[in-house]
Amino acid sequence: MLTIETLKTVNDATERMSTQDLLLSIEKAVTDGVTDFTIHASGQHDIGGPLWNTEGKPLSFLVTNPGQRVGSMCLENTEVTVEGSAPADVGWLNAGGKIVVRGDAGDTAGHCAAAGTIYIGGRAGTRSGSLMKHDPLYQAPQLWILENTGSFSFEFMGGGRAVVCGHGCESMPSVLGARPCVGMVGGLVYVRGKTDALPADATLEPLSSEDIAWLESGMEPFLKAIGRQDLLGTLSRWDEWHKIVPHVHEEKHPDIFSVAAYRNNEWVNGGIFTDVLADDFGVCGLVARGLYRQRIPVWDNARYQAPCEYNCPSSIPTQQRYNLWMALSACAFSPLIFHRSAF
Amino acid sequence: METIVTQELSRTDLRWNIDYRPERCTMCGSCVAACTINAIEVGVERRSMTLSRAAYPDPAREHMSRPVIRQRVSLSQACVGCGMCAKVCPNEAIRPVRNPDNRFAMLTRCLGPAKRGGRTNLNAQRTLDHIIVGRISQMTDPSLDSERHTFDIRAPFGRILLPEHLPLAIEGDSLKQIDRTPPVNWIYPLIFSDMSIGALSTRAWEAIALATAYLNEKCGLPFRMCSGEGGMPVKLMTSDKLKYMILQIASGHFGWNRILRALPHMKTDPAGVLIKIGQGAKPGDGGLLPAAKVAPHIQAIRGVPKATLHSPPNHQGLYSIEESVQKMHLSLSAAFGFRVPVAIKCAASATSVSVYNNLLRDPYRICGGFFLDGVQGGTGAANEISLDHTGHPVVSKMRDCYMAAVRQGLQGQIPLWAGGGIGMTGNAAADAFKMICLGANGVIVGKLMIQLLGCVGNEQGRCNACSTGKCPAGICTQDPRLVRRLDIDRGAQSIVDYMLTLDSELRKLMAPIGNSSLPVGRSDALVSTDRAVAEKLGIVYAC
Repeated sequence: MLTIETLKTVNDATERMSTQDLLLSIEKAVTDGVTDFTIHASGQHDIGGPLWNTEGKPLSFLVTNPGQRVGSMCLENTEVTVEGSAPADVGWLNAGGKIVVRGDAGDTAGHCAAAGTIYIGGRAGTRSGSLMKHDPLYQAPQLWILENTGSFSFEFMGGGRAVVCGHGCESMPSVLGARPCVGMVGGLVYVRGKTDALPADATLEPLSSEDIAWLESGMEPFLKAIGRQDLLGTLSRWDEWHKIVPHVHEEKHPDIFSVAAYRNNEWVNGGIFTDVLADDFGVCGLVARGLYRQRIPVWDNARYQAPCEYNCPSSIPTQQRYNLWMALSACAFSPLIFHRSAF
Repeated sequence: METIVTQELSRTDLRWNIDYRPERCTMCGSCVAACTINAIEVGVERRSMTLSRAAYPDPAREHMSRPVIRQRVSLSQACVGCGMCAKVCPNEAIRPVRNPDNRFAMLTRCLGPAKRGGRTNLNAQRTLDHIIVGRISQMTDPSLDSERHTFDIRAPFGRILLPEHLPLAIEGDSLKQIDRTPPVNWIYPLIFSDMSIGALSTRAWEAIALATAYLNEKCGLPFRMCSGEGGMPVKLMTSDKLKYMILQIASGHFGWNRILRALPHMKTDPAGVLIKIGQGAKPGDGGLLPAAKVAPHIQAIRGVPKATLHSPPNHQGLYSIEESVQKMHLSLSAAFGFRVPVAIKCAASATSVSVYNNLLRDPYRICGGFFLDGVQGGTGAANEISLDHTGHPVVSKMRDCYMAAVRQGLQGQIPLWAGGGIGMTGNAAADAFKMICLGANGVIVGKLMIQLLGCVGNEQGRCNACSTGKCPAGICTQDPRLVRRLDIDRGAQSIVDYMLTLDSELRKLMAPIGNSSLPVGRSDALVSTDRAVAEKLGIVYAC
C-alpha cells in the first residue's frame, strides 16, 4: 500500500505535486511491484491508467479530489475508486478497468469507453456515455449512473450498455437531458424516468425478460460499490424502466413512399389539369407506334368538324356523300366512289 | 452530277452535324422516328466499291444504291444536337456532333427565323465557381455536425419588421400585439421558379407541383413553387395543395380570371404572390409564348385564341416604382385579405439598387420580397438577341442591393431572392449557399427543374428548342405525342431526390462555418480565387 500526498506544507508554503510528477511516481511504483495506492490528489489529471502489473496482479487506486480524466485509458485488472466527486472525462477511453465514483461525475463521463465498468454514485454531466463502443473481442463496456445525465448524453453511442437509474429525478423533464442519443448506432441505454424526445436514430422500448435479468444481476454490485444498497427495492420496479434501442442500419433507409404512390393516393384525384385536358399519364418511348406516332398528324377534327362528318364510319363527309348520290344519278359514280371512299 | 453553288446552304453551315456510321446501321429507323425536329431522313446513296464475295479472292468493282440515314439540309429543320437519335440507336450508329465552323448565326438572320428560347449560350460565366467557402470553424469555434445537428433552413417570403417597429406593448406582465403585422411565410430558401403552364407541358408543370407537395408532406421540407405567368389549374387552386404555390402575375395577366373565380372555392391561401416586372432572359421584354404551344387547354386557362402570345414589356398602368408598390402590391394583398405576402421580381439591371432602395422606403410595409433575375435566366421563347445580349449578372447585383440595405441598416426587411444560372453546373446547393453568404435570403431555380425532368439542353447550344413546341423530352411542348414521352412520376421523383440531396449538401456547408440558421450576408465565410471578383463583392482574395 502506497499513499501519496500531493500537497505538502514546507515552511508554511503549500507545494502541489504536478500531474507529471504524480503520474511518473505512480508508474515507477507500479513497476516496483506496488499494487495498492491511496492518492490524495489535488486536481491532477489522468490518474489510474494505463497501468499494469507485469505479473498480472490487480491494481487498486483509492483517489480523493482527482482532476479530469480519472481512470482514463484504464486497462483490465485496474480498479479506481473516487471518494466524492470527479470532474470531466471519468473513464475516458476506458479499456477494461473498473471505475467507481461515489459522488457526481463531470461532463463526458465514460466518453469513448470500449470495455470495463464505470459506476457513478450521483449525476453525470453533459455528453456522458457519448461514443461508447464495443470491441467484439472483449466484454462490452458498462456505464451505471445513479441519478441523471446532462444534455446530449449517449451521442454517437456505438456499443456497450448504459444504465441511468433516475434516482431522485422523478420531477425532471428528462433524466437524459436534452437531445439524448443523437447519432446512436449501437449499444443499449436502460433508463428509469422521463426522457426527452428521441432522434430518428433510436426508439424507446419496454424491457424484455433478458433485460431485466441483466439489470438484476448488475444492480446489486453497482449499489454496493457506491454504498447505496438501500435503494435496491426502489430501483428494481422494472415497470418504471425502458430501454433505448438504436435502429439497425437497414431501418434507417426504409423504402421511401414513392412519388408515384403519392400521386395515386394523396395528390389531386386524377391530376390537376383534368378540367381542360384528359391525360392517363401513360408513357411512350422515343419510338412511338399507333396513335402517338410522331409523323401522324394530330387531328382536331372532333373540335372543328361537324359531328356527322367526324363520326361518319365510312370517312365520307356528309356533303360529299350527298354529292356522290347526285353524281350517281349522273352516271359518274364509279370513279368518284373510289376516289372518296376509305376503301 | 448536281451543280452546287457556293452560296447554297450545306451541312457544314449547320450548328450540328450528324455523325452516321453506315457499317453499324441496321436501318431500323428508330432515329428518324425519334427525332422531333425532323432533322434526319432516310435516303439513298450511290456507292462504288470493290468487293470480293467468293471464298477466295475475287475482287470486282460494283456500283450500288445503299439506303442511309442522312441529315436534312434545312435551317428550319436543322439538328439541335439533342441526341435522341443516339439515345434510341441500338447500335451506336448515329450521333450529333457540334460543328464549330457553322455559319448558322448569319444564315438564320438572312434566310430564316433567328434562334429563340432556351438559355444563354454566350454569357455563361461562373462567378460562383471562383468563390470558395474558406472560413471553417476549427478550434476558434466548433463546427457543427451536418447530419445530426438541428438546422433552421428557412427563408422569409414577406415583409420583415425591425424589432422597434413591431406593434407590441407591455400590458401588465405580458407582451400584447396591438396592431397588424405583414404576413410572412418562412419557406425553403430555394423556390421552383416561374415556368408557366404553356411554356411547360401540363405534365412537366404538374410534376414540379407534385414534387413540391411531396417534399412538404413526406419530407417536411417547405419548398414552394411559383406558377409562372400562365394561370393556375383550377383543381389545384381548389385543393389544399394550393398552400405550396406562389401565384405569379405579370404584365399579360394571363390566367387571372380563373384564379379570381377560384377564390371563393379556395380551401387555403396560396403561399404568396409574385409580381413579375421583368425576367433575366429578356429584360425589357414581356412574356412570349409561340402559337405552336398554345394548345386548346392553354387557350382555356389563359382565355385567348391560338396565337403567339406577347405580354407587354411593362405593366400597363404602372408608371413608377412608387405606383407599382402602391397599386400592384395593394391590389394583390387585398385580393387575399392581406393574409398572403406579395413580392416583386425584376430582371437584374444597372438600376436594381435604385429600385431596391425605393422599395426599402416602402411606407406601407407591404413589399414582401425583391426577386432579382440575372442574365443567365432561362426562357421558353425569348429572342436570341435578348437572351445573349441583354441583362445583368446577378451575383454582384444582388450583392450591391444587399450592401445598399446594409448601409441603411435595413437589410433583411425586404427579403432578397436571386436567380438566373443557379445550379447551372448541377450543384445548386453550393450556388445557393454562396449567394446566401453574399446577402440573398434565398434563390430561385428554373432550368435546373426541367433538367431534373429530363431536359437535355445546356449552355453550349445543345437542344434549346423550347420555343419550337418540339421538345424531345416532352417538357416544353404541348404536342400530346411528345408530352407522352414524359413520365410524370419519374420526373417528380428526380426532383424530390435531388432536393433531398441538396438539403443535406446545404447542411454540409452550414456545419463547417458553424451556422445553425442560414448565414445570410456572412460573406466572411467566403474567399475568392479571383482578385476582381473578390474586390467587386468585398470578400477576401485567396490563392
